[in-house]
Amino acid sequence: MTGVENYIKRMSKNSLLTKQQEIELAKKIEKGDIQAKKLMIESNLRLAFSIAKKYSRHGFDIEDLIQEANLGLIKAVERYDWRKGFKFSTYACWWIKQAATKHITNNSTSVKIPTHLLGYARKVYQAQRDYIETFKQEPEPEEIADILGMSLKDVKEAFNVITAKKTVSIDKSIADENSRSILDILPDPSQSPDTALYDKEIKQEIVKAFKNLSKREELILRLRFGITDTLNKEDYELKQGEE
Amino acid sequence: MPMPKGYKKETGYGSSKTLGGLSYHDIAKTMNDLNYKMNHSTARNVFVSGLMKIAENLTLSHGERYDKTKIKKIAIDPRFQEAVAEFMREIEYEKSQTFNK
Repeated sequence: MTGVENYIKRMSKNSLLTKQQEIELAKKIEKGDIQAKKLMIESNLRLAFSIAKKYSRHGFDIEDLIQEANLGLIKAVERYDWRKGFKFSTYACWWIKQAATKHITNNSTSVKIPTHLLGYARKVYQAQRDYIETFKQEPEPEEIADILGMSLKDVKEAFNVITAKKTVSIDKSIADENSRSILDILPDPSQSPDTALYDKEIKQEIVKAFKNLSKREELILRLRFGITDTLNKEDYELKQGEE
Repeated sequence: MPMPKGYKKETGYGSSKTLGGLSYHDIAKTMNDLNYKMNHSTARNVFVSGLMKIAENLTLSHGERYDKTKIKKIAIDPRFQEAVAEFMREIEYEKSQTFNK
């Protein structure tokens, strides 16, 4: 029996937690209960494993990926805030995925490039492609800096990273032709999983609140905020007999 | 005799410049073109009432229930207005990206 098989066998002995149990454990963890932390981690090892397994298709060693995913899981257990109402697995999978993708990006090139620079490179590369598609010519670094609101120095560094990475194209598929490219898995440094999840929640609430607004209120908010690109004048025009 | 001191807002007010859109006068003009009869004060009142609905929704989703005065205080806070504007821009951008796919 291989190490991984052994691990799976041991891992499957841990039963899954209910939401209520998760909350109780989280409360204990907050108070510094080591046993509760251990139980929370052990009960979610299967989640980390299932995510790690998906990334192993990209040609990385499954044992390394499990280890990285478990580190992500530990981070999630330490930062989980039960008051926000999310199930632990929803929260943890962001951290696990981040840990796994970080491992992949750190080990996918022969040249070691800091993760935040790879994130900048991802943004700059995307903007560069969009620019070429629109204007049919290569953009100057100053133009990219303007578009992205980044400093010229960061853009220039990102260009250097792109050049360095061209030894292995950023568009190259990780496994076979249909799998995701390196560009797809580069983490975006601007947001941590915490913030991303929180932002998503707020956006959903704003979208929900917008449905309660009258046409008049929505239109005025859009005009005041200058969000009128997608406005269709006919849709908002007051017809006779309305309001 | 000195005049009585009124309420002084510490954070100031949101302006069309900071929010990225039109002034209340221009909004009223645009709205009149779209057959909504209003002046700049009505435009401001409708804007605040819309923001109050958003503020109420957001506070409720965080388990807080505030009265109208507190909700209005949040709604007219320029920091809140700028944050909502930013989120709305992101929502529109994400929508356009999904549409373009």
